[in-house]
Amino acid sequence: MGGPAWLTAIFAAASLAVAVYCAGRLVVARRGHRPTELDTDGAHVIMGVAMAGMLVSGLRTLPSTIWEVVFAAAAVWFGYRMLQARRGAQSSPWCSSHPLPHLVECAAMVFMFLILPAAAGAAASSVSMTMTATESRFSFLTLPLAVYLFGYVVWLGDRVTLHVPALALAAPAGDTRPAIGSGSGFVATQSYLAPRCATICKITMGITMGYMLILML
Amino acid sequence: MSESLAVGRAQTRPAGQAGDTAGVAALDARRKLQLGLGVIWVLDGILQFQPSMFTKSFPAMLAESAHGNPGVVAGPITWSASLIDHHVVVLNAIFATIQLALGLGIAWRPTVRLALAASIAWSLAVWWLGEGLGGILAGTASPVNGAPGPVLLYAILAVLLWPADRDPGAPSVAGRATGRRPAQAVWLVLWGSLAAFALLPASRAPGAISDMLTDGADGAPAWLAWIDTHAASALNHHGLAASIVLAVLLALVAVAVYLPAPALRAAIVLAVVLAAALWLAQGMGELFTGMATDPESGPLLALLALAFWPAVPRPAVTRKEA
Repeated sequence: MGGPAWLTAIFAAASLAVAVYCAGRLVVARRGHRPTELDTDGAHVIMGVAMAGMLVSGLRTLPSTIWEVVFAAAAVWFGYRMLQARRGAQSSPWCSSHPLPHLVECAAMVFMFLILPAAAGAAASSVSMTMTATESRFSFLTLPLAVYLFGYVVWLGDRVTLHVPALALAAPAGDTRPAIGSGSGFVATQSYLAPRCATICKITMGITMGYMLILML
Repeated sequence: MSESLAVGRAQTRPAGQAGDTAGVAALDARRKLQLGLGVIWVLDGILQFQPSMFTKSFPAMLAESAHGNPGVVAGPITWSASLIDHHVVVLNAIFATIQLALGLGIAWRPTVRLALAASIAWSLAVWWLGEGLGGILAGTASPVNGAPGPVLLYAILAVLLWPADRDPGAPSVAGRATGRRPAQAVWLVLWGSLAAFALLPASRAPGAISDMLTDGADGAPAWLAWIDTHAASALNHHGLAASIVLAVLLALVAVAVYLPAPALRAAIVLAVVLAAALWLAQGMGELFTGMATDPESGPLLALLALAFWPAVPRPAVTRKEA
């Protein structure tokens, strides 16, 4: 992918850091029964690895075709979650309650791998990507995708609170309702796992993916 | 502005991760517009990270803005372009980071004032050193080429969206921050100056607007190039008529700020349509060329117009006693 090598390396490192951190979140959430958005964290794990491979050729792991299938499947999942939310289904603390941005992120990944195969191919060189005539027909999607992600980043930034949100730690005395997440296989007994760090991960992924899309303009 | 951070309130999920809005103040119209401005700053920051910005092309582009300006304006532009030319990688990385930080700073409520204030200072500096004061003194200013300089609009927006309630009863977001009359004056001067620029020789010459449209098509995707080249072809040798029509429309928008709310709403719709048309004429800020540093004036004019949208007065709510 185009851009100074040190800059793409920084973005790749950021996306890898998010992937590693989100993998850690999944482990901690499982062991500590602390709710986190399993689907979002899982998506960020694979997304971070894939994006790092797109940015720095030495970090490529899987062929593009496999990534396309993986992100298409993730997009289907978030699309399903979005439909469920629209139908008024009860949200689970273990799943993303705002699946649309993640659906767009997964679609953007498929877009980058599928429509612009040069994204992966050009990673081996330091030159900017060039699009074929066929691919350029889809270039008009690149800008709206990037702007949507920047909008998501800014929206998330607006919702980052200064202090640790007081989660449902202190249930009222005599409250015998089941703990949140008890119907999803896990039993949540503690507060939500590092919510501000989760938001910062989303912001990092949004900026990095937006950067990659802008490089494809 | 309701800038309070509702911290420490019980919630089942953290802010930003749930459908609930507990812990986060609601988005009012001004906050939404601030976030819109934040998005454009983030876009600017990422555009500044494009590969071509780390090459000699970037300072060369800056130096071009000195042409035609008086020596007192051109001197600092040439000096800064030379300085950037010698340290282009480091300085461009700093510039990009500053713009990204401005966007994120506007997004994060505790830093919104700081970020808006910094954005005013940054915008004015870039307006001079990066855009040559929008070509106003060089005689090249035209609404079609982005006059009075897109980056000046960032500063104006930062003032109009400042989180203060100098006139809480003002019907529009812009009026709340600065007061009704100053906000109206800003609108009149901005759109009035655009109308005046449309009548300058840079716009009214027979092939002027046509040439600008042709420039906008350079490097644009096929569909955008098609629009611009066809518009350029249609307006070729009709520069005077096109500039007069454009000036009349811009003047109508300018004076509409003093009209009653229904007429003002119609004028704001017209302003947004004009902003969109100008944006297309500008080749969408040449975003597809890899050399764009901002999305040009179109989106900013539209955002600014929305800041003047007169709110519908809410009927008084009477509390029924139980």
